[in-house]
Amino acid sequence: MASSSISKAESAYIEVGLSEQPPQRLDGRALTDYRAMSLETGTAPLANGSARLTIGRNPHDGSGGTEILAATKLEVETNEDGGSDQGRVVCSVTCSPAAYPHLSSNALEDLQHDLTTVIHTTLSHPSLHPDNLKIIPGKKSWLLSLDLVILSDAGNIYDALFMAARAALWDTKVPRTRFIEYKAKKGGPASGGKGRDGMDVDETATSGFDTRKTNHATDFELLDYWDEGEVLDGRERWPLCVTFNLVPKTHFLDATQVEEAVAVLKVLFIFASSSVQGMRMLGPGEVTSAQIKSLLKEAETHSRNISSALDSKLKDEDVRRNQKASEAFSQQRR
Amino acid sequence: MVEITIRKRPRSEAVVTQRKFFKKTARGKVIKVLRERYLRDDVGCGIQSCQECTESCTPQANHLVMSGPDHGLFPDGHFLLPDTNVFLSQMDLLESPLFRPPIILLQTVIEEVRHRSLPLYNRLKALMAMDEKSIWVFYNEYRSETAVIREENETPNDRNDRGIRKAAAWYTTHLNANVRGKAPKKPPTIVLLTEDAANRQKAEKDGLVTLSVRKYVEAMNDASQLLDLLASESEEIEPTRAASGKQFLYDEYLPSATLIGGVKAGQLHQGHFNANQYNYLEGSVSVPAFSKPVLLIGRENMNRATNGDIVIVEVFPEDEWKAPADEVVDQDATLKNDDVESGDEDDGEDLVSRVESKVVEYEKRDAEKQPTGKVVGVIKRLWRPYVCHIDSTSLTSSNATSLSVQTVFATPVSRLLPRIRMRTRQAPSLIGQKILVSIDRWDVTSRYPEGHFVRALGKVESKEAEQESLLLEFDVPYRPFGKAILDCLPKEGEQWVVPLKSDASPEWRDRQDLRDLNICSIDPPGCQDIDDALHARLLPNGNIEAGVHIADVSHFVHADTTMDNEAASRGTTVYLVDKRIDMLPALLGTNLCSLRPFVERLAFSAIWEMTPDADIVNVRFTKSVIASKAAFTYEEAQIRKDDANQKDALTEGIRLLNTIAIKLKAKRMAAGALNLASPEVKIHLDSSESSDPIDVEQKEMRETNSLVEEFMLLANISVAQKIQETFPQTAVLRRHMPPPKTNFEKLQDILMKRKGLALDVSSSGALAASLDKCLDPTEPAFNTLVRIMATRCMLSAEYFCSGSVARDTFGHYGLASPIYTHFTSPIRRYADVLAHRQLSAAIGYSPLHPSLHSKPHVERILGVVNKRHRMAQMAGRASVEFYVGLALKGREERVQKSGAGAVTEEAFVIRTFRNGLGVFVSSLGIEGLVMFKKDLQFDAENYTLSIPKPGSADLVAISVFDKVTVRIEVEKDKNTQRGRVKMTLLSPVDSKDM
Repeated sequence: MASSSISKAESAYIEVGLSEQPPQRLDGRALTDYRAMSLETGTAPLANGSARLTIGRNPHDGSGGTEILAATKLEVETNEDGGSDQGRVVCSVTCSPAAYPHLSSNALEDLQHDLTTVIHTTLSHPSLHPDNLKIIPGKKSWLLSLDLVILSDAGNIYDALFMAARAALWDTKVPRTRFIEYKAKKGGPASGGKGRDGMDVDETATSGFDTRKTNHATDFELLDYWDEGEVLDGRERWPLCVTFNLVPKTHFLDATQVEEAVAVLKVLFIFASSSVQGMRMLGPGEVTSAQIKSLLKEAETHSRNISSALDSKLKDEDVRRNQKASEAFSQQRR
Repeated sequence: MVEITIRKRPRSEAVVTQRKFFKKTARGKVIKVLRERYLRDDVGCGIQSCQECTESCTPQANHLVMSGPDHGLFPDGHFLLPDTNVFLSQMDLLESPLFRPPIILLQTVIEEVRHRSLPLYNRLKALMAMDEKSIWVFYNEYRSETAVIREENETPNDRNDRGIRKAAAWYTTHLNANVRGKAPKKPPTIVLLTEDAANRQKAEKDGLVTLSVRKYVEAMNDASQLLDLLASESEEIEPTRAASGKQFLYDEYLPSATLIGGVKAGQLHQGHFNANQYNYLEGSVSVPAFSKPVLLIGRENMNRATNGDIVIVEVFPEDEWKAPADEVVDQDATLKNDDVESGDEDDGEDLVSRVESKVVEYEKRDAEKQPTGKVVGVIKRLWRPYVCHIDSTSLTSSNATSLSVQTVFATPVSRLLPRIRMRTRQAPSLIGQKILVSIDRWDVTSRYPEGHFVRALGKVESKEAEQESLLLEFDVPYRPFGKAILDCLPKEGEQWVVPLKSDASPEWRDRQDLRDLNICSIDPPGCQDIDDALHARLLPNGNIEAGVHIADVSHFVHADTTMDNEAASRGTTVYLVDKRIDMLPALLGTNLCSLRPFVERLAFSAIWEMTPDADIVNVRFTKSVIASKAAFTYEEAQIRKDDANQKDALTEGIRLLNTIAIKLKAKRMAAGALNLASPEVKIHLDSSESSDPIDVEQKEMRETNSLVEEFMLLANISVAQKIQETFPQTAVLRRHMPPPKTNFEKLQDILMKRKGLALDVSSSGALAASLDKCLDPTEPAFNTLVRIMATRCMLSAEYFCSGSVARDTFGHYGLASPIYTHFTSPIRRYADVLAHRQLSAAIGYSPLHPSLHSKPHVERILGVVNKRHRMAQMAGRASVEFYVGLALKGREERVQKSGAGAVTEEAFVIRTFRNGLGVFVSSLGIEGLVMFKKDLQFDAENYTLSIPKPGSADLVAISVFDKVTVRIEVEKDKNTQRGRVKMTLLSPVDSKDM
């Protein structure tokens, strides 16, 4: 993929360093170390959920590193327009041309398409589908579009994309809706003024326990215009990706862009909780099934670590954005 | 130089500064909206003598001055800080000129009012602009101390309440710190006024001073007058009764979301509620889904709808459909004994309920079954202040000095409305007056709506009160023209003249000089606003040139000026018998634009060249200057034309016009135009000063009436073609839709059964032809009667924008013209002004104002004009009715003096009921009802009522179209003082005692 062209000498240097005992990486990390990441949610106030993720950004001048912006948008979709009862999830990845200055626009499009395919097929898988995208059964549902923008790429783009996607989906709030229906009353209207006193009291009230009613809902309304809504169902389930970069003899995580140029094969393991959600091999190299098994095991541990780290960070973000801010506000005003 | 620093707000403050909300669009999409808000520390409190806010409070002129010591509870002065619900429920009180404490109006409150009710928001805006009110708008959401953020799980309502309390608390501390009363005195109090008990409780907990409106007003010095203006409140109107003891008389409305859902799904139907004027327990709603209107029978199915409301109805299954009642049910008679205090509930033995349930029970007649249903919700109330009379029997104490609160019935003048229950302290003094009452609400537990007194109009039958009540009843704007409007008039005023002809003068630009033509105007006697004049002459080639010259109003009234906007909202001039409410200021209407004789006037001319057979060779339109040579009345013109000795050019012109008009009319009739009739009468006024009517007679139609009419039609049609051609999207046109066939069914049935006549309604031509055949050799007036009845089956004509409807619906049914507009009366109709502007642009005289290129704009204006036009017609008719009543009274007195007994007239039966007859008195142009006290033998199929002859067992059959003699009396309702025409049958049977 986004291979930056490096000289043979450079590539040999990196490769040798990696296969040293102990291995030597350009930035001094161990093979399974990640670069420093930063994450912020709620960066796009108009989106229903959003996050900005960077990997390996220089903390002093804010330069370099991989940077992804992710945002979700909910749209109402009627079934005639291609919606389904359960709602849909559609993902897309856009590469900023600034992130890949050396690529032609055609190549950029190809790259976008490749990335979109991986993300979309994984995230829109039925096993991950959130439950609360329904609006009116058989009529209307939410279309959840997840858009990821790569602002800059300094390697390990897949892991970054999945993490950003997960953060944005975590942050997504679905507006609460209530559907509007009209049911004709059973047994006709209250005998049109023929009662003794002509008034029928409360005969028409329907029991709230009556669940047998068929659904005639035609439209919906928002319960509360001011409320952002409820969180997306199953938001802790969204998968994460662990990318192993394979060089002869060894493999390593979180490759920088030059390191990626050295790796002959990339193996992507995508985990949702502890179950494998997907796997992909990219590159010309080969790998045996025994190798894959051991990699899988290793990937699971890593993914669990990342997942718990991410979760705690996301929870932190929630607190920071709401509670702390309003406390700070009220203190300031006292 | 001042250093400018731009501080970027840290994102961590977003919670406070950003307000996000969702919006659902009409197309069902959900949009997230983000508002940034900037909190500042210099939003002024607006209180005079506040040391801190003096600078930030601009303009200083409307500073609040603390109230004087005139309020019992707050001798040190106070400021009112009302909650939203005060504006929602007590607007009449706040608008009263007597209510003038200083008010702090919070931004939160304004926004909430706008969110809840747009009409009230507009009233609030008007209130804020009033000079005599002292109101300061405090932008609490933008002041950092008073801004609130919504907390989790807080409803918007709670959030707003909290914001209001916070603002009140801030004001209290702010005043303590900055405003001093006179030296040792305490600072003025901030009074939080709210109707919400829960909010009051919370506010008290916070240490705020808070009161309900009622408590506040009661402690005021002039409380008694203001208390009447308070909207009735359910918990307070009958404090002694336990709420649980009340019986539900009506079903609750469904939630509005459900209603919309039901309408979308096609299970519910939306339409305007029309009350039945003969039977107060019946109404109907026309909905697109059914060809016949949906019938609503009985109080509980009408479910609190009042005439004109937009309601949602549920239609019953077809086996429960019913036919409309064939009985007259008069509200006053049936509900005579209903006690105002206990009218609601009691047990099942309730007298009124029994009477009413008997009334709504009748046999089903299969033939006339109509969709039947009930109201399940009201989308929009059309409540406005109604002109009412107080029912004197509902008073518990008629002691004139009594100031105790009484609950009384107010009976609206319009028969389409239910009685309104209201509480007042002034009841005894209001008897015999016309008063304005507005409805506040209608609870499920209350048979009648609750209202409150707004103001008194004056004594019943005094001219002023009657006139004003008429204008109010039909929503006619009758304020005098304001200064801003009068400023749009030419500065010269009455002295304005057409300037001397010169190329430099803007008036003469592109205008044709037609001053030497023999133009004259023909109008009804006493006409002051002459907007049309005519001429005709022979051309050398044997053809005839005919011209219609219309006052060039658009020269004086330019688009989008104050005057134009006022005219657009008035829509039309309203003609009452003794008063004209102008659309344009009188200077234009009766002078500058009026095509008076012997003076030069600007005109817009349509000039045709016609063959002697009245075929149009060509037509041209031009702005012109004319000098009318004479202003005739119809009568004068007729006499002149008929006088063979007169040979002058003017008379020859009239003769020429007349011959063409006759040919034009013949052509129109051949094309299938209808000759319709409506009862028009003329009121003879005693003298112009006293305006007491002496007598009534029917309007006479002369040949010259028809002459003018033909040429106006011709001009309208020619102009319509021209503007439609030039502006196919926004041309202002008028159409008359062909009536649905079902409208005629009843009339066809009556004619067939009673007279053996068939009415062919397949087209306007066929209808015209078969109407011509509806003759009764013994009764010449029969044909007119049928025409009147046929006219009532038709739809009314309407203005429309050519781009808004399909091309094939442009036609004018009555005139049998494929296209039509109004062009000829721009002084009194606003649609004509628009047509003038469009024609002027079409001939390249002036550019078209952009607003007339906008379809939505034209549609909106024409919507208003259509409504005003309808209202104006009804107001005019009501005015005639009032004077007919007065004239009848005069005649009655004279007849009684001469000892003849009573006024009698011949009348035709036009409707039959089980207990009455609808009759039409053609000599007076009025319709009346002959009521019988008991049900008679009634044959609905043959529209025949059999009445027993007094003193014998014989029955006399009376059916529709029979001629009867009625005795006409004007009697006043003893209770309400409402005057009404009462008719009793004199022959063939005297029904005096029946």
